[in-house]
Amino acid sequence: MSIDKKAIIKMDSIYKRFYIGTPNELEILHGLSFDVPDGEFVSIVGASGSGKSTLMNIIGALDKATEGNYHLGGTNISLLNDRELSEIRNKKIGFVFQTFNLIARTTALKNVELPMLYAGMGSKERIKRAKELLELVEMSDRAMHMPNELSGGQKQRIAIARSMANNPSIILADEPTGALDSKTGHLVMDIFHKLHKEQGKTIVLITHNQKLAAETDRIITLSDGNIVSDEKMSGNAVYTLNETVKEEKPETESHDESVILTDKTSGKDGQ
Amino acid sequence: MNFKENILLALAGLKANKMRAFLTMLGIIIGISSVIMITTMGTIVEKGLAGVVTDLGVNNLVEIFIRQKEDSVRTTIEESDMFSDEIIEQLMTRFSGELQYIAIQQSVGGGTMRFNREDINMTVYGYNSDFIHIFSTDLLRGRYINEKDIQGQKSVCVIPDDLALKLYGSPENAIGEILSMNVAGGVKEFAVVGVYKYKQSAFGGVFSRNYDIHIPITTARKMINASPYYSWVDFITYEDVDVIKFSEEFGEYVNERYYKDNNSYEVMCYTMAEQLTSISQYVGIIQGVLSIIAGISLLVGGIGVMNIMLVSVTERTREIGVRKALGAPNSAIRIQFIVESVIICAIGGLIGIIAGVLLGNLGGLLFDTSAVPSVGAIVIAVSFSMAIGIFFGYYPANRAAKLDPIEALRYE
Repeated sequence: MSIDKKAIIKMDSIYKRFYIGTPNELEILHGLSFDVPDGEFVSIVGASGSGKSTLMNIIGALDKATEGNYHLGGTNISLLNDRELSEIRNKKIGFVFQTFNLIARTTALKNVELPMLYAGMGSKERIKRAKELLELVEMSDRAMHMPNELSGGQKQRIAIARSMANNPSIILADEPTGALDSKTGHLVMDIFHKLHKEQGKTIVLITHNQKLAAETDRIITLSDGNIVSDEKMSGNAVYTLNETVKEEKPETESHDESVILTDKTSGKDGQ
Repeated sequence: MNFKENILLALAGLKANKMRAFLTMLGIIIGISSVIMITTMGTIVEKGLAGVVTDLGVNNLVEIFIRQKEDSVRTTIEESDMFSDEIIEQLMTRFSGELQYIAIQQSVGGGTMRFNREDINMTVYGYNSDFIHIFSTDLLRGRYINEKDIQGQKSVCVIPDDLALKLYGSPENAIGEILSMNVAGGVKEFAVVGVYKYKQSAFGGVFSRNYDIHIPITTARKMINASPYYSWVDFITYEDVDVIKFSEEFGEYVNERYYKDNNSYEVMCYTMAEQLTSISQYVGIIQGVLSIIAGISLLVGGIGVMNIMLVSVTERTREIGVRKALGAPNSAIRIQFIVESVIICAIGGLIGIIAGVLLGNLGGLLFDTSAVPSVGAIVIAVSFSMAIGIFFGYYPANRAAKLDPIEALRYE
């Protein structure tokens, strides 16, 4: 990715403090600054307690920095009120969660429609777009299925389609493969790569899996609320589309979340 | 997000928890149905009372009767204590602007006849010619008792249509026939001159049919050797007269004019209108008290709705977090839960109305009448139950709307 591309995310001395009753003040982020250019696939890695989740919440406009400015596509998020934040989340950010977070008792299609519903899009247009998105993640035949009728990998693909609904500026993926076995996880990663390559989507991947991070353009490593390294990978050479990852070992030593869960049912959707 | 989508969303939420939604609704159903039941029964009782008024003829009936004075000397009634034809005549002249008709009667007693090996029971009354106006009896065939019959003490009678049908096949055939019956200690014969329409009273239909036979009052008096004095008389005023007010003046006048020197008796006036007003008031009070109780059950139902909505919000915390992450503004979350609670209450309200009308009419069977609440009452009941939905749904919905998305997403 060329450096001179316009920055879509601009982080300028971001501090996050939690006040748990004076004088106790807990500083989680100690003035982070970084830019993410439009169209970059960046991963943010770090152990538990590194401030990764806090940073993710700020990037996702779920939370505001205590100090510092965060610009997303030219908008200073730090200045927005609740209502404007929800509009930013709706139109500019596509969330993909570790546990999929599809709305239960609602079809895959309706789940994909949801962000468009909140954006006030008409029903016909919504259904058309949702169907296109399901096509994109190769889930057209599951449009009318309920989440509990789908495997983990399938759910995550629906969730990715949902994140793309309002054509957001960035996709924010929080451990998207964390609840999947390695094979299914890899298929999900394939979709991100496809969105990145074919549609030029800016993708922010939050993970502690170094191997996944290595597939991306750039790795920002957090530790104790500071950026300890920010390295560009050599092009995309690390990743080739049909490469199969034989095994995945936890790369970071410290915590249980890094253990890749095996989803027995997900074997089916290995295609 | 439009209104229809909110409703569909809420319905989907309710469908997922059918049993719970129904149990929650039950509180509203019981509350609304009891309110509707009470109003329906109230309407029925009012209709029944209105029926009594029409049965007994009139709103402008004034009945005057004699009663003992508090410091009465005698306990026996003498002819001089009672109304005579002369007094009545004078009163009719004095109050010709107010009094339209007068009804006097002389009961003869029960009569029987045998027809087709069946005993037919009758009650014979002697009436004057004005009587037909008092009980607003519809004359189907022939004529009513007239002055000539009374002057001549004629043996004529007016019979009800169902008796005419039974004895002569039709009201037409009855005219001119001779009705012979055993009455006042002997067999008497009467020529049928008229047939009137029998009206079942609002509270009737319980006892076996006893036919009322009308004969001239003079004839009746002669049969049982009664004297022409009355302890009570019914008057009918003109329509535009305020009966309650008039009855007071009338009573005072009669006491002043005829009973001033009577040391034992005086007169009292009684109006149907006054009686019905007080009965209506009692019914209104009872209805009011019952409505308060029903209102309390509705309140309890509403609290049930609030309780379930709070549970629902807690259960769906994560879903709320996801919706917020996907860009749902607080208002959308709030509306989602309010609509859900309003739908519970509206459906409960509708079922409650139907149940209430049915139960109310079941009670109405006693009065042999039925009632359907007005469209207005239904609209009020449904809007009221929806208002309960909004009122009791607001707090849980607001709680959902104000959830912190980060906390909500983390909720297990």
